[in-house]
Amino acid sequence: MYQVTVEPTGDVVEVEEGQTILDASLRQGVWLPFACGHGTCATCKCQLVEGEVDIGNASPFALMDMERDEGKILVCCAIPESDLVIEADIDVDPDFMGFPVEDFQATVVAIDDLSPTIKGVRFELDHPIEFQAGQYINLNMPGVEGARAFSIANKPSDASVLELHVRRVPEGAGTGYVHEQLKVGDTLLLSGPYGQFFTRKSAPEDLIFIAGGSGLSSPQSMILELLEQGDTRKITLLQGARNLSELYNRALFEQLAQEHENFTYVPALDNPLPEDQWEGFSGYVHEAAIDHFGGQFAGHKAYLCGPPPMIDAAITALMQGRLFERDIYMERFLTAADGAEGTTKSALFKKI
Amino acid sequence: MTSKKLNMKEKYSLLTRDLEWEYSYRDYEEIFKQESFEGIKITDWSKWEDPFRLTMDSYWKYQAEKEKKLYAIFDAFAQNNGQQNVTDARYVNAIKLFLTGVSPLEYQAYNGFAHTGRQFGGVGARVACQMQALDELRHVQTQIHAMSHYNKHFDGFQDFPHMHDRVWYLSVPKSFFDDARSAGPFEFMVAIGFSFEYVLTNLLFVPFMSGAAYNGDMATVTFGFSAQSDEARHMTLGLEIIKFLLEQHPDNVPIVQRWINKWLWRGYRVLTLVAMMMDYMLPNKVMSWQESFEVYFEEAATSLFKDLARYGIEMPDYAADAIAEKEHLSHQAWSIFYNYGHAAAFHTWMPTDQEMDWLSEKYPNTFDKYYRPRYEKWREMEEAGERFYNPTLPMLCQTCQIPMGFTDMENPTMTSYRQSVYDGERYNFCSNGCKDIFDYEPEKYVQAWLPVHQIYQGNCGGAEMEDVLGEYYRINLGTDNLDFHGSPDEARWNAWHNLQPAEDKLKKAS
Repeated sequence: MYQVTVEPTGDVVEVEEGQTILDASLRQGVWLPFACGHGTCATCKCQLVEGEVDIGNASPFALMDMERDEGKILVCCAIPESDLVIEADIDVDPDFMGFPVEDFQATVVAIDDLSPTIKGVRFELDHPIEFQAGQYINLNMPGVEGARAFSIANKPSDASVLELHVRRVPEGAGTGYVHEQLKVGDTLLLSGPYGQFFTRKSAPEDLIFIAGGSGLSSPQSMILELLEQGDTRKITLLQGARNLSELYNRALFEQLAQEHENFTYVPALDNPLPEDQWEGFSGYVHEAAIDHFGGQFAGHKAYLCGPPPMIDAAITALMQGRLFERDIYMERFLTAADGAEGTTKSALFKKI
Repeated sequence: MTSKKLNMKEKYSLLTRDLEWEYSYRDYEEIFKQESFEGIKITDWSKWEDPFRLTMDSYWKYQAEKEKKLYAIFDAFAQNNGQQNVTDARYVNAIKLFLTGVSPLEYQAYNGFAHTGRQFGGVGARVACQMQALDELRHVQTQIHAMSHYNKHFDGFQDFPHMHDRVWYLSVPKSFFDDARSAGPFEFMVAIGFSFEYVLTNLLFVPFMSGAAYNGDMATVTFGFSAQSDEARHMTLGLEIIKFLLEQHPDNVPIVQRWINKWLWRGYRVLTLVAMMMDYMLPNKVMSWQESFEVYFEEAATSLFKDLARYGIEMPDYAADAIAEKEHLSHQAWSIFYNYGHAAAFHTWMPTDQEMDWLSEKYPNTFDKYYRPRYEKWREMEEAGERFYNPTLPMLCQTCQIPMGFTDMENPTMTSYRQSVYDGERYNFCSNGCKDIFDYEPEKYVQAWLPVHQIYQGNCGGAEMEDVLGEYYRINLGTDNLDFHGSPDEARWNAWHNLQPAEDKLKKAS
């Protein structure tokens, strides 16, 4: 297993032995330009900055000798032989602050049951962290192989604490550890910040947040920061949950909606229980979005965070309501099980 | 990462968009006359995202390097008498088909993109089309150069541009591109840029190039790789045009859907030539047409249309018709050409026993049941000295211009036959796709130059077969046409390799 760092965004991709960089990147949600997928068209040409690769079956016309000498590679057929740094022809977002990744010692100060399946964990950090609302950290847990990614739920101005929302994944080793073994006073190692999911503050459009399950974490951080900074754009949070007991932090957002005229909170339950006596929106959260906005989304920026099926349904709803890829940002909460499905992808969309 | 370095997008924008100017003394509509008549609504050209970022400077640098490499290989191929090292002389007929049927389309694509680019108000789209036009011109030139070597040693190459304009089966690819180029600029982009260059390109090029590789033809493999290295630009331009149109205005969605339906079917029908090339013309087979269709069309299109569904675009209904034909298409096409082997500028032949067994294995549901008995009959006739040539002229489909030899997939021994009446005249079609295309724009397709009609109307050199084939098509009768067995191509090949003529083998076998 090698780590490939993709500049200029700084995304890090884990590549298996014998796997191509492109395959690993796409599976881990890091988009790189590509088209033919077999070394003949050169769409995926990147500059190798550091490390060794096997350039694979790159056609001599798609990757010419002079380019090989310059260290160009085609990521659709290049296989890492060490950790790498590559530079791809992708744009860095003007709102990306590029805070450096650091290591932290984090001590647990509180563990709350947010819902029957989600715990809120608060850490005190050994030194302050600089991050953009929406980004995530990688958490190392004793006895759990590999780090696990969790989005930060607190706002960036709370720089010495870190709040994470952790949903129990059935048979998941990492989330199992948090739910069953972690206790107040424990100290864990974590690193961050990571990710390209953050608030595009320079964009003038009103904002829509669509969150499902523990995917409330990033939108919570982003909304808390926007409101703290006195942002006047219209902000709408649509939060999806199965039933009332899974709809966590509802009181927090209802209160924010009362205090801020520009903030609207729309909770949606897709399977409310009779005892919930639910009078709010019944149905999936993307249906709540269609209902709330009358199916018209043009002129917004949308931020989606949650499990892949929710993101998928939300993208379709937004696009049918005339909001397209350039105005949609998303963080998919993948579990180890999600990575297994090897669906072929067309080259039509970059991030979707 | 807080440097103020310009990113690629900004650099490219300074190098290209800044070449645009304000139109101060002419109206926009006057300068870009063709931008609105198709019903496409463009609200904001600035939303166009450059599908590639390449300056002219580096374009010349890269292309020059490719040419150097390519021509070095052509030279080596010629000096080593590469024509003698292909699997056998039958293979060269696949290359004849490519030069007469496909290379002129590259030239048509050059014309089409040069013309179309001029029609767009958006400078990004204009620059992208200009670059693709240059690529296409390079492709046709390198293909002609690659195949000019074969022209020294085999028949049928000498008059390819003339033949492309006149010969009956070449009207299939020619009319396809004429149809696209005589459409509006946005339809051309969906037809060629998206449907052909993005969706169908692998189904055309991969079989020809791997066919060449499997049959010892280094020159063709090399121009294939050289051309494919430009395809990055063509494929990404095809994707950008489709996204751009669908995002600009909801009224564009049904128009684009109709164009996708039409052009995937039109393109697929042209690929009939590839199907028969793969299954019949390659002495060393790569994979069957069916296998290639499954990988490069069915799988790829499924993932593409899953993504397009977000825009409200659906898989064309005709995709099901194409899938239903995959076990029949190549056999029916080769049968048509075998029938009219005297009227083709390349040779035809019956598969060997070994080749028939390969076909049985690849097409277990259809080959032995429908096609082997016919081929065995034709082989018997050939052995008896009565090689079958069909003396009558076939009815053609008004839209794709292929002889009406395709059958009904529900009932594969019956001809698939559709008709429409327009302005008191009856028109014939091979399929629902071709009929629907006609019915939507009959004014366009009634003008089709159908080779058989033209012969009967006396517009093709005369009333006799020799007048049409020899004078008008410029086929060298007795050398370019007829069966491979007994051809001068075969005789030369046998002389190079001290092989027995096929007639002797046939005599011995009988």
